[in-house]
Amino acid sequence: MKLSFFVNDRPVELETEPDRRLLDLLREELNLTGVKEGCGEGECGACTVLMDGEPVHACLTLAIQLGGRHITTIEGLSASGELDILQRAFVEELAIQCGFCTTGMILSAKALLMKHPDPDEAMIREALSGNICRCSGYVQIVNAVKRAARELREVGR
Amino acid sequence: MAHICLVRSTIPHGYVRAIHAEKALALPGVLGVFHCFNTSPRKFNRYRSRFSQELPEEERAFTDYVRFVGDRIGAVAAVSRDAAEKAARLIEVEYEELPYSVGFDDTLAGKNCLNGQSPVVGEFSAEHGTPPDADCVDVESLTQFPPIHHATMEPHVCVADYDPYQDQLTIYSPNQAVHGIRTTIADYLEMPYHRVRVVKATMGGSFGAKQEWFTEPVAALVAKQLGRPVKLVYTRAEAMTCSVVRGAVRASVRGKYLPDGALASLDVELVLDAGAYVGNANDYIASMYGKLFRCYRVPHVRYHARVISSNTPVSGAFRGWSAPEEALFMERNLDAAAAKLALDPVKLRLRNVLLPGDTDQKSGLPMEDIRIRDALLRGRELFAWDELLRADKAFNAASPRYRRGVGVGCGGHGNTYYPRHNDFGEARAMLNEDGTVQLAVTVHDHGCGTVTAMRMIAAEALDMPDRDIRLDEGDTAFTPIDFGCFASRTTFVLGKTVYNAACALRCTILDRASELFGLPREALYAEGAAVRSRLDPDAAIPYREVARAVMLRLRRNVTAEAGFANETNPGVTGAHFAHVEVDTWTGFTRVLDYLAVHDIGQAINPGMCAAQIQGAVQMGCGAALREELVVGKDGRCTSSLSKYHLFLAPDLPNIRVELLMDGRSAEGPYGAKSIGEVSFVPAAPAVCGAVNNALGSELGVLPFTPDRILNYLTEEGSH
Repeated sequence: MKLSFFVNDRPVELETEPDRRLLDLLREELNLTGVKEGCGEGECGACTVLMDGEPVHACLTLAIQLGGRHITTIEGLSASGELDILQRAFVEELAIQCGFCTTGMILSAKALLMKHPDPDEAMIREALSGNICRCSGYVQIVNAVKRAARELREVGR
Repeated sequence: MAHICLVRSTIPHGYVRAIHAEKALALPGVLGVFHCFNTSPRKFNRYRSRFSQELPEEERAFTDYVRFVGDRIGAVAAVSRDAAEKAARLIEVEYEELPYSVGFDDTLAGKNCLNGQSPVVGEFSAEHGTPPDADCVDVESLTQFPPIHHATMEPHVCVADYDPYQDQLTIYSPNQAVHGIRTTIADYLEMPYHRVRVVKATMGGSFGAKQEWFTEPVAALVAKQLGRPVKLVYTRAEAMTCSVVRGAVRASVRGKYLPDGALASLDVELVLDAGAYVGNANDYIASMYGKLFRCYRVPHVRYHARVISSNTPVSGAFRGWSAPEEALFMERNLDAAAAKLALDPVKLRLRNVLLPGDTDQKSGLPMEDIRIRDALLRGRELFAWDELLRADKAFNAASPRYRRGVGVGCGGHGNTYYPRHNDFGEARAMLNEDGTVQLAVTVHDHGCGTVTAMRMIAAEALDMPDRDIRLDEGDTAFTPIDFGCFASRTTFVLGKTVYNAACALRCTILDRASELFGLPREALYAEGAAVRSRLDPDAAIPYREVARAVMLRLRRNVTAEAGFANETNPGVTGAHFAHVEVDTWTGFTRVLDYLAVHDIGQAINPGMCAAQIQGAVQMGCGAALREELVVGKDGRCTSSLSKYHLFLAPDLPNIRVELLMDGRSAEGPYGAKSIGEVSFVPAAPAVCGAVNNALGSELGVLPFTPDRILNYLTEEGSH
C-alpha cells in the first residue's frame, strides 16, 4: 500500500505492506532509531511514540492505521538541535541509566504534560505505568517530570 | 547484513533424530540453515571469562541432545529478519522424547534424571569455627529465592563479521567481558586470539544477563560459515527463557543463638537448581559460602550445598552473584530468632554485625572500616523504626482488613575477585596536542554510568574538566587485557587503575614541563589543566602547550601507563528498611515506604549511586512479592512480560537512599567501595521481613504473591 503520514511534522510517503509495524517503519525506513523494541507485545513501553499527541506502542501500531496521522518520536523533540525541556530535565535529574527505556518514558511524560501542565505525583506515576525501567526505582524519573512541568509552566507565563 | 533466527527445541528433553530444512531453504532470501547435523560438534562453556578457569565445555552451538524447551537446535540465516523467522518456522524436527523433571522435588527424587545421570551435578561442603558449648536456642528456617528474569529492557543482541581474506572475526555485542568472549570464541572456533576482535557495544542493561556467552559463539559460527556479517537479536521470550535466569535456591537453616541474641552457629543445607546446563553453578554455591562472612560475625558454620540439573532454563549470573540468596536465608533466620527470643530485629542485628577492624573469617582479609553498624543505627533513626512499630500495632488492632509491618535486611558483598582469584587492571593515558586526554582501559558500562565515573576519577586526578577526557569501552583490539566488569570490581579495581594512569600522566606532564621550560620539578603541580609552580604563582603552562612542546622539541608523545593489583577487599554493606501493608482479603502487598542505607566509602557519582540503589530496591521488591519464572508441568517457562510482573512507577514509594561516606576503603579510588551488587543484597530480605512482621508469619518461600499470602491466611485460619 501507499502510505502518507507525518513524522515529526514532516510529510512522509512510502510504499509498504499494510501490516508493517510502525516500529519497523521508523527504525528501518526512516532511520529513527530512538524508538526501541523491548518486547514486541506492548508490555514494556520502550517503543512508545506519540500519534496525534497520544502515546502508542509502535510495536502494536500497523502501517494501515497511519494514513494522515502525525507521529512524534524522540528525534522530533530536539528537531532544532537543542534538547527540549523534558529531555534536559531527564539529564539534570540523572533520570537516565542505560537509556533503553528513556525515549519511551519521555514521550509518555510529554503526552501527560501536553494535557496536564500541573500534574501531581500520582498522575505522573500513572502516566508512566506503561513504561518499564529496570535500572531505577523511578524516583529520578518522577523528579524529572516534575521539574519539566515546573519549567514549562514558567516558560508559559 | 544477514539476520539469524534460531530454531529451538519444543520439548524439554530428548534427542533430535532428523531435521528437514528443504522448505526453509526454498524460501526466497534464505542464505543457509545450520543445525546439529551440519556444524561442528565442538563445545564451549558460556561462563568462561578467563583462560585459566577449569570448566567443562558442555554446550554446542546447536545440539542434538536437547535439555530444555528452548535449547538451540539450529539457525536460519536470511537477508531479512522476516525471512529468517518465516523460514525457521518451516523447519521440521523429529525428536525421540525422554522423561524430564522441572522442580526441586521431582529432580531430587531422581525420577527423571538427565539422560540417566544423577541429577546432583555438584556439591560443596565447608565448616568454619567450632560449635558452641553453651546452651543455645535453636532456630529453624526455610527460604527459597525464586527463579527470576533480569528483564534488561534491551534483549540480547550480537553482530558478528567474518573477513575470510584476513581470517579475522569481529564481534559487536553489549557484554560484560570482551576478553572473556574472545577466549571462549577463539578456543571454540580454533582461531588465534589476535584474529578475534570483540567490541563492547552500548548496553541496555545487564544485571549479569550479558556476562555469559550464548549469542556470540552462535553468531560467530554462522558468520564464519557464511563469510558475511550476521546479526542475532533475541525476542523477549528468548531473553526470558533461553538466556540465563537466576536459579532457584532453597535453603534450610538451623541457627543457634545465645539468649542475648548472639549468633553462635549456623547449619546450612541448600540446593541450587542450575537448570539444563551447569554453567557457573559449582562456583556459585562455593561463592555463597564466602558471602556468609561479609556482614556478620559467624563463630561457627557448617555449610552443605548441592547443585541439581533439571530440564528448565539455564541458571547463571545475576546481580549479587549468590549474596542475595545467602542474605535471604541469613536474614530470615535472624528474624525467626528475634521472634523466638522476643528481641527487636534491629537490636538483634546490631548484636551480630561486623565492626570496624574485624576480619573476613574466610579470606582472612581485613574488613577495614566496615560501617554496617552505623548503617543500622542511622536507618533506625531515619526510618523512625520504633515509632512505626508502635503505629503499626495500633493500626493492625483497628483494621479488620489490612496488616502493616516493618522489616530490616542487611547484606554484604565484595569489591573484587581477590582473593578468590587474583585481580588486576591496566590502563594507558595520552595527552593530545589540544590539551584533551584519551584513556584506554577495558571497562564495560552496564548502563549505570561507569564511563562517566571513570572520566570523573581521571578528571579529579588531572584537575581538568571531565568533558575533555575521552574513555571508550572495551575493545580487544585496542584496550588492555582484562577480566571483565563483574564481581563488583569495576569502580574499586578499574577505577583505581584509571586513577593510577591519570596520576602517571600528570606526573609525566610535570616532568616534561620541568625539562622543557626549565622549572624546578619539585615546585610544580597541576591545577586547572595547566602546570603551575609554587615559586611563581602567576606562571601557568596549559597542558596543551606541554603536549605541543614535547612533540615539536622532544619528538615524542605525552603518554603514561599504569596498573593496579589490589591486595584488599574491604567490607561493603548496606541496611534496608521496608514498611508494607498486606491486604488480607486479596493477599496483595503494598510497599508503603523504603529506606536504603549504604556503607559506600566515597561515592564517585552520588546521584547515579542513589539511582542504582533505587533500581536494586525495585528489583528486590519484585523478587520478594511478584517476580517468578514459572516452569509448568509441560516444561514451558513464563515467556512474556504480560505474565511476569515487575514493579512499575505507580507501585513504588519514593525510595529513600542514605549514603555513608566515612568508612573509606584503603585502596579504592578516593576511598570508594562497590555499590551495584551490594545494593540488591538486602532488598528482598527486608521486604520479606516486613510481610512476616505484618502477618506474624514465618514465610520464606518467595515471592509472596497474593496466592501464597491467601493460602497462608487460609491455613492459619483453619488451625
